[in-house]
Amino acid sequence: MKFSIIFFRYKTLLMVSAICLMWTACSVDTILDPNNPSADGIIQNASLGEIQNLVDGTESSMRDNLNNYFDGVNVIGREYYRFSTSDPRFTSDLLGKASAVLDNNTFYTTNPFAARYRAVKNTNILIDALTNTKATISDAQRKAAIGYAKTLQAHELLMVLNEQYANGIRVDVKDPAKLGPFLTKDESLTAIVALLNEANIDLKGNAALLPFSSTIYGGDGNTFSKFNRAVAARAYVYKKDWAAANTALTESFFELTGDLNKGAFYIFSTAGGDQLNPLYYPQNSSGETRVAHPSFVTNAEAGDNRLNKVSLRASAEFQDGLSSTYDFFVYKTNADKIPIIRNEELILLYAEVQAQLNQNVNAVTAINRIRVSANLPVYSGAVTQAALINEILKQRLYSLYGEGHRWIDLRRYDRLVQLPIDRTGDDVWTEFPRPATEQ
Amino acid sequence: MRKVLRKTVLVLVAFTLPLILLAQVNVSGTIADARNNPVSGASIKLRNSTTGTTTDANGKFSLTVPGTGGTLEISSVGYQPQTIQVSSNSNQLTITLTDDISNLNEVVITGLATGMKRTNLAHAVATVSAKSLTGTTVQPSLDGALYGKFSGANISANSGAPGGGISIKLRGITSLVASSQPLFIVDGVYYDNSSIQAGLNLISKAAGQGSTDFQDNPSNRVADLDPEDIERVEILKGASAAAIYGSRAAGGVVLITTKRGKPGTPKIELSHSIGVQMQLNKLGQRQWDTAKVRAAYGAARVPLFQSANGQTFDYEDELYGNKGIMNNTRLSVSGGNESTHYYAGITRKDDEGIIKGTGYEKTSFRLNVDQKITSFLDLSLNSNYVTSEADRGFFNNDNTSTTLGVSFVSTPSWVNLFSDANGNYPNNPLAPSNFLQTRDLITNRERVNRFLLGSSVTWKVYNDEKHDIRIIGRGGIDYYTLNTIAIFPRELQFQKNGNGTNGASIYGTTITRNSNYNAFIVHNFTPNERLNFRTQAGVTAENVDQDNVVTTATQLIGTQTNVNQAGSVAVTQAKSIQHDRGFFIQEEFNYNDLLLLTAGLRGDKSSRNGDANKLYYYPKGSVAFNIHQLAAWNLPAINQLKIRAAYGQSGNFAPFGAIYSPLVPAIFNGNTGSLIGLTRGNPALQPEKQKELETGLDVSFLRNRITLEFTYYTKEVEDLILDVEIPSSSGFTKEWKNVANIRNRGIEIGLMAIPVSTNDLKWTSQVLFWKNKAKVTRLDVPAFNTGAFGATLGTYRIEQGKSPTQLVGIGTTDQKPDPTTGLVVFDDAEPDFNLSFLNNVTWKNFELSVLMHWKKGGSNVNLSTLLADIFGTSPDFDKKTLDPAGVATNGAYRLGILGSSAAPWIEDASYFRVRELGLSYRIPKTVLKNIAAVRVGISARNLINIFDYSSYDPEVSNFGADAISSNVEVTPFPSSKSFHFNIAFTF
Repeated sequence: MKFSIIFFRYKTLLMVSAICLMWTACSVDTILDPNNPSADGIIQNASLGEIQNLVDGTESSMRDNLNNYFDGVNVIGREYYRFSTSDPRFTSDLLGKASAVLDNNTFYTTNPFAARYRAVKNTNILIDALTNTKATISDAQRKAAIGYAKTLQAHELLMVLNEQYANGIRVDVKDPAKLGPFLTKDESLTAIVALLNEANIDLKGNAALLPFSSTIYGGDGNTFSKFNRAVAARAYVYKKDWAAANTALTESFFELTGDLNKGAFYIFSTAGGDQLNPLYYPQNSSGETRVAHPSFVTNAEAGDNRLNKVSLRASAEFQDGLSSTYDFFVYKTNADKIPIIRNEELILLYAEVQAQLNQNVNAVTAINRIRVSANLPVYSGAVTQAALINEILKQRLYSLYGEGHRWIDLRRYDRLVQLPIDRTGDDVWTEFPRPATEQ
Repeated sequence: MRKVLRKTVLVLVAFTLPLILLAQVNVSGTIADARNNPVSGASIKLRNSTTGTTTDANGKFSLTVPGTGGTLEISSVGYQPQTIQVSSNSNQLTITLTDDISNLNEVVITGLATGMKRTNLAHAVATVSAKSLTGTTVQPSLDGALYGKFSGANISANSGAPGGGISIKLRGITSLVASSQPLFIVDGVYYDNSSIQAGLNLISKAAGQGSTDFQDNPSNRVADLDPEDIERVEILKGASAAAIYGSRAAGGVVLITTKRGKPGTPKIELSHSIGVQMQLNKLGQRQWDTAKVRAAYGAARVPLFQSANGQTFDYEDELYGNKGIMNNTRLSVSGGNESTHYYAGITRKDDEGIIKGTGYEKTSFRLNVDQKITSFLDLSLNSNYVTSEADRGFFNNDNTSTTLGVSFVSTPSWVNLFSDANGNYPNNPLAPSNFLQTRDLITNRERVNRFLLGSSVTWKVYNDEKHDIRIIGRGGIDYYTLNTIAIFPRELQFQKNGNGTNGASIYGTTITRNSNYNAFIVHNFTPNERLNFRTQAGVTAENVDQDNVVTTATQLIGTQTNVNQAGSVAVTQAKSIQHDRGFFIQEEFNYNDLLLLTAGLRGDKSSRNGDANKLYYYPKGSVAFNIHQLAAWNLPAINQLKIRAAYGQSGNFAPFGAIYSPLVPAIFNGNTGSLIGLTRGNPALQPEKQKELETGLDVSFLRNRITLEFTYYTKEVEDLILDVEIPSSSGFTKEWKNVANIRNRGIEIGLMAIPVSTNDLKWTSQVLFWKNKAKVTRLDVPAFNTGAFGATLGTYRIEQGKSPTQLVGIGTTDQKPDPTTGLVVFDDAEPDFNLSFLNNVTWKNFELSVLMHWKKGGSNVNLSTLLADIFGTSPDFDKKTLDPAGVATNGAYRLGILGSSAAPWIEDASYFRVRELGLSYRIPKTVLKNIAAVRVGISARNLINIFDYSSYDPEVSNFGADAISSNVEVTPFPSSKSFHFNIAFTF
């Protein structure tokens, strides 16, 4: 009897253990996200179609939150006012009204910051996907494509640095779990330039077609290199490396007599689901609107046709102690493209570089190219470096109005004090605070 | 039948005759109840052996007892167990069972395949019987029927919309972002309880400003169950009882057993109830004069007011005053023979809502069959088909003033919204929508078709005096299609003339296919009379597959509602797929019903975890000590005294998708790009883990006339999951992480008594008291506000050391706001305590049942009042009861505080309620020539409601069953009370 008890218990136990072992040994299949493509999957082995998706996603994301980027930079640069009945902070915080300061956890700081780094993340995914893909692309194409991704990444990082300035930025953000350190302002700029140069090695002279279609600039490595060099020229100028900037300009799509609007653009459309130009408001809007800073009109030279960038309102718009009779009207429809970088900026960068290199004749030639196209007489001021720089900064205000340069230009020449103060107690900020989540 | 039986007995006798010589005792007889009716299906078992049988349809049994006899234990659900000694052959035994007036002898499910007598349980399990579920009055849905009937739960209806929608939290908050709702299991089949949004946000834009959560007020799918089918409900409230359900049991488990046939002649029950429902609490309307109109709407509106010539409309009555007729018809047939039992039931329900055009229709059909295939193989099948249609109106928060609720509070009584003779509605001059037009023209319908199939097979592998080995296999499928149909025609004020999208037709289809399978081996080992070991082990598998497609058509063509008859169509699809595999082992030890020990372990792996093949373990252990079983016990007045302790763990998954870092679509230049999502998935995420320790004391006095259950629990929920803000330079703004712990502590007291029990008069009474306190014990991220609409209006705040349901808001200096956050803690959504009181009195053929429920404390964020104040329509706007200075009117006073303190919107939501009241009279079968027994009665739901709360009903949730952020009100579908006349025939 004893034996049988033991026997049964033993047998039962054995059977049960066997079943349990079999069951737990059989594995549960990992289920991939049923609703979206996964980044990991695409990194492992992307098809050409998926690479195209990443490119479109990246170029789309570069547009995200441009309204807050441009509103931040342009309002602090006193190019226009952003009036908003639903949010008073455009006229208080951004202009430093009374005791208001820029906040490190408010949309104008955090949203453009996050949007640019999201685009950076997408370029990192694109680079990994291009590195690992088993799709049929040539080595030259792979190089050109990676060069393309790095160039866009550098551009996005430069946008972040434009706002963060003295705080410096993180450049190595490949691993979200192990983010690289914050570099100083100068280190950041150096790293961005290095990234552009690294990309250009793969792009320059590389006639291979990009293995995808892009709306930024050209369809092959060598053509895209000209966009890379244009961004590099801007970065070198910010770095005050005039000689390198000069070289970069000659390798870019810079053309002294060419179309001022040749260049790379953010594009928008009214198609379903696509983004509209976020800086467009119809003329004479009230409540939510952008109006030109009065100084833009009052300081303009007579006959400057660039005053078509503003539009006289039917009635003046007031808010928070500020007023203007002109609408900001650079973009005439809600599908107008916004420049990333264009020839007019390159001509003015050329003028600045030549002036800095004491090639004043070249500088004056470039200035006159701009003045004449703006329906102004040729430059008649002093031909000294200082006078030319003053003239170039003014031409940059009018030529690149609303494109996010005024604040940065005056900051690099330590001239922020020259910006007009509209209300007693208003401040001109040097940079945005580092976002709260980055502390 | 008789003859067959006699033959059988003869054969049996002939067969067993030789065995008598081998020292055996043969007994047979009849078991009957106190009214001398035979008791079928009663169990007769030789004490401490596996020898036993059950009675047939006539209450007869026969049994061969080996040896020289012994003690027979006779038991049947609803009767007190009895024992008799047998030592010699007997074929004329007549055993009369007395009704069990306590529930101490019911068997409660304690393993995945086994149960245990309540007297031996080591943890508190709440059970709700069919009688208490549906015996008093007609129930709109199962979830609604559970209110106040067991302790340890906060149950709250989300609104009064027909078709249900309820939030159940067992023993407090158990999650921050995942669900806190319990797992429902019907006859062993996992029962999906999703709440699926109908896509109304397109119109309401409720998510977007202030809150990102949808507020479509969907019903939850447990409403599909027919309460009339249910035999009993067991509620496992925490991990100590629910550990065997492992990774899905953190919110507790509700086990539902449906009715089954018993051997005997077919029993036919036919019942019908007709009732009427009406608004539970009318608020009234503000009285107007020119000065008030000028103050509220400006001088420009005064001519409009004057043109009304003093004519006003009672819009509360017009909108909420429908007397909804409720019909409920039920037919069931059950019966069977020795080897086959069946139960078939059909219910047809047709309820009209208190708002014209709303209502709920449901048809449910169930067939349960049990079949003995061979002497050692039993098969049991359950099937249920439900089809239902709920028209739910259009309510809750919006940012477009288009819901009926918001539009109603924005409209003063002197504006005429009625249609003209041609059916054309005027535009509402003071709001973007005309709620009468909206009510009459829109559709917001949920349509469900659901199949539930379950089966179980029991194979009695081996059986002797000491051993009983069984293998049990179970499986089930839960399949449903839910259509959500929302139609907003283009002639609506908010759809035409550039407002809105020229009509919208939102058509959602959700197909859910869930299945679960398990197999167990159970070994009962009784080495001697005093000892019993029960070992069980098994494997489990659960699969979830849900596919939700919502097609939104706008720019409708004419009056067309098909989604292709539109100028613009958008489609979204969301799938959720999950595979779980696990095992379970458990050992129970019983020493003479004196000491009972249980230890068990569940292991689960799931595709919902980052590592799909990692096993997570959920152990449990318990001990119960029946002091009254000690030989030395000599207090006859106390017939049970038990102390008990139980510990267990259970888990909860992260929200679906939390382990993925998806690429989301981005439309660009005519193409669709892929862009990294904003929230970083975390494959290393651990399931939320709950550890519960429960201790308790059960005492019964005076032959179970008084029973007291006392339970204290501590449950620690660890590794709570939250989408945490991370440095956005990573490319993400949030990431899923395990960051918090919550501890719930509480007590539950149950007192059951039978104050009077005579032949004519019997009074049973049950008092339940429960209280829970929660505290955040770990928080790895800074304290944050969540839920509701921000600190200005009152919000929840998750903060270490504080209750997770504390309600905070901005406050004035005399309210002493926290100096760093500027926030004042006003109250907590969790009640101070709940008390329910159930009484049942039978006198001769009359029966009276009353269920009362008192919820003390716990506050709501009431924004209905805020909106009414803003639009100047609050019924109490002109009273002067709030301002301490007695100067400002209530409306002006509250609005004056808006922006400086959230105090006026955080309101005490205590209530006392007579939830159910029923009076019935039973006409015995003998009166009606033995054709049928008839029961006629009247009943009421929510008959008496007492509360100070300033809106329709303190029981409300704008955010549905969200873990945190229920107890928020924004112009909901008002709740109702109802009266019914019932008649039931039993043939």
